[in-house]
Amino acid sequence: MDAVERANTERQKRWVKDQKVGEGTYAVVYRGREFATGRKVAIKKIKVGQFKDGLDMSAIREVKYLRELHHQNVIELLDVFSSKTNLNLVLEFLDSDLEKIIKDRTLVFLPADIKAWMAMTFRGLEFCHRNFVLHRDLKPNNLLIASDGQLKIADFGLARDFTDPGHKMTCQVITRWYRPPELLFGSRYYSTAVDIWSVGCIFAELMLRTPYLPGETDMDQLKTIFRALGTPTEEDWPGHTKLPDYVPVGQFPRTPLRDLFTAATTDTLNLLSKCLIYEPRKRIGAKEALHHAYFFALPYPSHPSKLPKLSNNTSSRPLDEVDGNVDMNASGPGVKASAPNRLKRKLSSPGDELGGRPLARRLDFTQKRS
Amino acid sequence: MAAENSTKATSAEAGSSSLGKKKPLYEASTQYKNWRYSPERLEDVRTQLNAAAVAVIRNTFEADEPGSSSGVAFLDAGEEQLLVKLYISKIPQLCGHFRFPEEVEATAISYLKRFYLKNTVMDWHPKNVMLTALFLATKTTNNPISLEAYTSNIPKTSPSDVLDLEFLVAQSLGFEFAVWHAHRALWGIWLDLQSLPDLSADLRPQDVYEIALKHVRASRFTDAELIYTPSQIALACLSIASPLICQRWADSKSAVSPSSQPLSEVLEDTLGAIKFMVMQAGQPPDVESVREVDRRLKLCKNPEKVVGSKAYLARIAEDEHRAEQKRNKKANDVRRALAEGDPFGSELTDKEKAERLAELDEDDD
Repeated sequence: MDAVERANTERQKRWVKDQKVGEGTYAVVYRGREFATGRKVAIKKIKVGQFKDGLDMSAIREVKYLRELHHQNVIELLDVFSSKTNLNLVLEFLDSDLEKIIKDRTLVFLPADIKAWMAMTFRGLEFCHRNFVLHRDLKPNNLLIASDGQLKIADFGLARDFTDPGHKMTCQVITRWYRPPELLFGSRYYSTAVDIWSVGCIFAELMLRTPYLPGETDMDQLKTIFRALGTPTEEDWPGHTKLPDYVPVGQFPRTPLRDLFTAATTDTLNLLSKCLIYEPRKRIGAKEALHHAYFFALPYPSHPSKLPKLSNNTSSRPLDEVDGNVDMNASGPGVKASAPNRLKRKLSSPGDELGGRPLARRLDFTQKRS
Repeated sequence: MAAENSTKATSAEAGSSSLGKKKPLYEASTQYKNWRYSPERLEDVRTQLNAAAVAVIRNTFEADEPGSSSGVAFLDAGEEQLLVKLYISKIPQLCGHFRFPEEVEATAISYLKRFYLKNTVMDWHPKNVMLTALFLATKTTNNPISLEAYTSNIPKTSPSDVLDLEFLVAQSLGFEFAVWHAHRALWGIWLDLQSLPDLSADLRPQDVYEIALKHVRASRFTDAELIYTPSQIALACLSIASPLICQRWADSKSAVSPSSQPLSEVLEDTLGAIKFMVMQAGQPPDVESVREVDRRLKLCKNPEKVVGSKAYLARIAEDEHRAEQKRNKKANDVRRALAEGDPFGSELTDKEKAERLAELDEDDD
């Protein structure tokens, strides 16, 4: 056996797969542990044999970036090994994600909780951007939550690095509801601002407990955005009508954020509005956001260990049962989930440059419920 | 920006490390952590790798036919290097043909060099490894092209020539795909120069950049990237093109973080060593001498890797034997479970569970 193969076998032996916890078309996720320490891990097995072009781009991106990025708020890739024609990524084990928490209508979010999640998201994102990496698929179910409450940015299957301005990139990235208007207008030159827009949408969703801008098609997405934030003028966003896929989608007046986010503080709405500025160059940056007054004002962010957590059996409990316990109309500091969202949440990300394969990137630790 | 980061990571950094400052980006990279060697260490790695490979292949020859290895002239580490260098020189040609960006070219060359720090050319001939490294680099740098389009444009190459080695190459790289390059560092330094107040445009003509870039490209034939940081290489190449401009840039950095010694002095030895390396070894090898090595390689390559050879067939037979044993064991387990009464089998112990899962994993691919 070659030295390289032998090293691979050694690595493989370090990890034990315990239980299959999720399966997609191109990947299977196991819960496992480190043999020596018993540390819990998730092992994502990507079936490489099926790709006629060899190692799949999503897998390559994920491995490339996670190998380099080590930060408390970025999911940690502990090891990579191959077994026959499979690529195995050993990732730190994370119990839940922000989407599940948002949807768990038994949980009440305090403003301090939202602030803690936002701070962790911006910290992780600032680190990615500082390392010249665009995530390009931020959404609540890619923000995973560890058992100690730490939030970790995950799923780098659409990530890429950015270098010089003027380098053409694909606009077919970011799940639609979190996609910024410049991408919807087909801009091929963009920046870290695309991720910030997504964070803005997530921020709003944490307050509303339902997706903020749920468009049904790409065209409808623009309409949904403009209905919420007003149609941009040339002054708001110089040059946007010259973007490749620009189409006028109607004139909508700008309504104050205050009308929808009735309980939010001024600082909160100020930061939110800065994440959702149309002109990408004026949109706030991750570092600047971390220095925003919102994070320094009371209430201070909750300690991660004090954040709302999924109750263990939430997934199996019928939702109707909890309705009686939650007063949807109560006013108070907390935000509760509203009635079940009728819109179908789009789980998959848009296709990548190679033509879009619906790779199961998400670490889904529950068996798919239909 | 890359230039700035990586320069900070090296000699210029010395003073601030004690303050518990944020780690420079370059120091957090896998390149910094896993792919940097001292010249001595690099030599050691190659010599040991070569010796181990020769021992293994010699054994294989002997197992096949005792006494048969005595007449074989195995390659030494230097000869292996020579052959690798020849195939490094093919990469820019192919990249020109496909019009791949410089990023692809530089990355593929790094991959090829790194591969042969873990493998011997006597096991894996650099021709196909080079093709695989280049194909992998198109993907890791986000410039993907279909395998079909790739291989159909390269004479006498089938998709399997590339694909069969992809896993091995990725593994040998430790799945560390990100590479920081000197040409990017050079660009960073060049951008820096444009903002120096006392260095007007006519004092930094474009051809200085072009010449420096030419030397950066030449440096890819050398071991420089395995020993020095991208920004050190870039600065050395700039210094060949224009010592004055190099000095100016270094001075401007010294002004930012004053230390007892000017940056240009700190860097003097390093830059000197890189310049020497680039001027000495920065070109493709002499084709005649490589031809001689390649001819000998045909006689000393690992017979286990030669499809159809006795040793190859023996290894395949052994693999199959092992697989059959496994199948038999499984069948026996099922039979035993049935015989023991409970058709669903008894509770598994944790150890058994892990074994089952491991088997399951191998079966369901």
